[in-house]
Amino acid sequence: MLVLGQTVNQSASAAESRYGATAPKLAEQQSSVGGPTPTTVAEMWSAWCARCHADDGSGKVKEPTITVEPMDFTECKVTTPEPDADWARAIAKGGPGVGLSPEMPGFEDSLTREQISGFVKHMRGFCKEARWPSGNANFPRPIITEKAFPENEFLLLPVVSHATEPSSASATDVGLVAVYERRIGRRAMYEVGIPFYNWDFQTSRASAIGDLAVAIKYAAYASTTTPRIVSFGLEATLPTGELYKGFGKGTVVFEPFIAAGTMVGDWYVQAHGKVELPVDTLVDRAYLYNVYVGRDTSAAPNTWTLGVELNGENRELWVTPQIRKGLTGTGALAASLGASIPVKYRGERVVSWVGYLLWEFLEPLRARR
Amino acid sequence: MGRLFALGILGTIACAALASAAFAQAGSVTGTITTTAKSLAPVRVTIDQKVCGAELADQAVVVDAQGRLANAVVVLTGVKPFDSLTLAQGKRAAAAEPTITNDKCAFAPRVQIARPNANVKTTSKDPILHTTNAQLENGRTLFNVALPIAGLTITKPIGNAGNVRLSCNTHPWMRGWLVVTADAAVVTGADGRFSIDNVPPGTYELRFWHEALKSAPQRITVAAGKPTDLTVQMK
Ligand code: HEC
Repeated sequence: MLVLGQTVNQSASAAESRYGATAPKLAEQQSSVGGPTPTTVAEMWSAWCARCHADDGSGKVKEPTITVEPMDFTECKVTTPEPDADWARAIAKGGPGVGLSPEMPGFEDSLTREQISGFVKHMRGFCKEARWPSGNANFPRPIITEKAFPENEFLLLPVVSHATEPSSASATDVGLVAVYERRIGRRAMYEVGIPFYNWDFQTSRASAIGDLAVAIKYAAYASTTTPRIVSFGLEATLPTGELYKGFGKGTVVFEPFIAAGTMVGDWYVQAHGKVELPVDTLVDRAYLYNVYVGRDTSAAPNTWTLGVELNGENRELWVTPQIRKGLTGTGALAASLGASIPVKYRGERVVSWVGYLLWEFLEPLRARR
Repeated sequence: MGRLFALGILGTIACAALASAAFAQAGSVTGTITTTAKSLAPVRVTIDQKVCGAELADQAVVVDAQGRLANAVVVLTGVKPFDSLTLAQGKRAAAAEPTITNDKCAFAPRVQIARPNANVKTTSKDPILHTTNAQLENGRTLFNVALPIAGLTITKPIGNAGNVRLSCNTHPWMRGWLVVTADAAVVTGADGRFSIDNVPPGTYELRFWHEALKSAPQRITVAAGKPTDLTVQMK
């Protein structure tokens, strides 16, 4: 319990709640020196946050007392992809808790948990535009399952598999897909991906590029508060692949898909299904589905996240356990590593190492000075 | 059980006897820190004037009319300040748990000594938001805690941080220092005086620290039963 004039024991308060002191509301206490302490969140914002963040949340104050200008909370594009939990953590632990500047002080010993979530709610009001999907549904990206939340990201996805065929020597195949994702407006996103391959070809190694993929995605159902999202998309692969080397489908393929995500307790659940419809009817259709379940090991943006995917394609099925880690304090750079293990047709299919390196290019990589 | 208990009591008595024997032979180091540096012009306050006032003394150099310097730290290396060794009568000694008070938009005291791994308390008397931002010499922030209301006390571990610079991110002129040391150390008072008592006879190094001024370390010899007094100028 925290009462005015008493000492807060750090470890005790940390054990009692995730963030913040469990306390009778400080705001109800009267200050002995000045006037009454602020009581509403808006008053508290003006008294305690506006000195650095400005009354309107823009971060533009007349006489800054800090060297780093905080981000503009009225800019929906920047603020809405942030999950509430990251903001609550920033308020509780201060900037370093989320990889940002230590000029943002920690309030965990002076505010209650309810007050901290009250601030987060208040801050959400700085974005005046409707229909921006809540960052609470901005889950860690699985390796294979398409994410429903629209992103501004650059990705490199390597695939390495090693086959030992009875007839020939062992062979290592390497693939690398480079993907650029960019949000359009509040709910849409486009994506361009190009795969590269390098593999054992007879007695030497050969390289090729595969089919260029372009896609658009639209978050059709996205809550502005809760962690639930459903997106639809259409992907098209163009026959840029070097077919004579065995890469590419040799035809345009249209791939309508659906991607969805929610949270069940502390678990992220993400699902993705798509149909591959080749224009050339001689090429087979394919049905793909992916389901991901995972959870963070801590609340920091650079946490380890453990997850597992089921990846189905027609009759085939793989299971892909994986581990993900934010590489900078803000989590703007992240890497994931997993192994895709065949569940069916195990005699013919091999294990592939899969993963990604991801860069959210609108997020700060690290704290500014 | 009973026997062990008795032994414990005996042990305590023996220790106390030894300690007082050491005291009897101890010497002390006293002195005055002076400077030719002048006090600084006051800081003009433009933020929270209702609480802070329109002007505040710049305490980076606190010097009296005779040139005697306050807030200088004197460290006697080689003497570990055991609990049994009382330090610095009359002057500010190292508190087990120093408290940093935000008072009228200044850190009070401006300069304190903390023991390694001490729990440092920070509190505020002002009804406005202060932050106690503790930075290491390399610029890394050890902690930065918000003190939105008066009367709240927050405790943070200091580790073995060396010289810690305190600042407030809502009142940029505010400055304070924690000198974290396991050695015997004291802060000079307004009269520039310091004294380190109960120092076992021997040769030591005496070091001086001030946030804005410097002075070279000195080698001193402490004899039993009499004070070693010196005057040191910091530039
Ligand atoms: C002393 C100045 C200061 C005060 C007071 C302050 N902040 Fe901040 N805050 C900052 C700075 C600076 C940043 C951005 C750090 C960066 O970009 O590296 C920040 C960042 C944040 C963030 C993280 C934003 C993100 O995108 O992750 C949140 C949330 C936040 N502040 C909320 C608050 C709330 C709520 C209060 C009042 C209870 C408050 N701040 C008081 C300086 C301050």
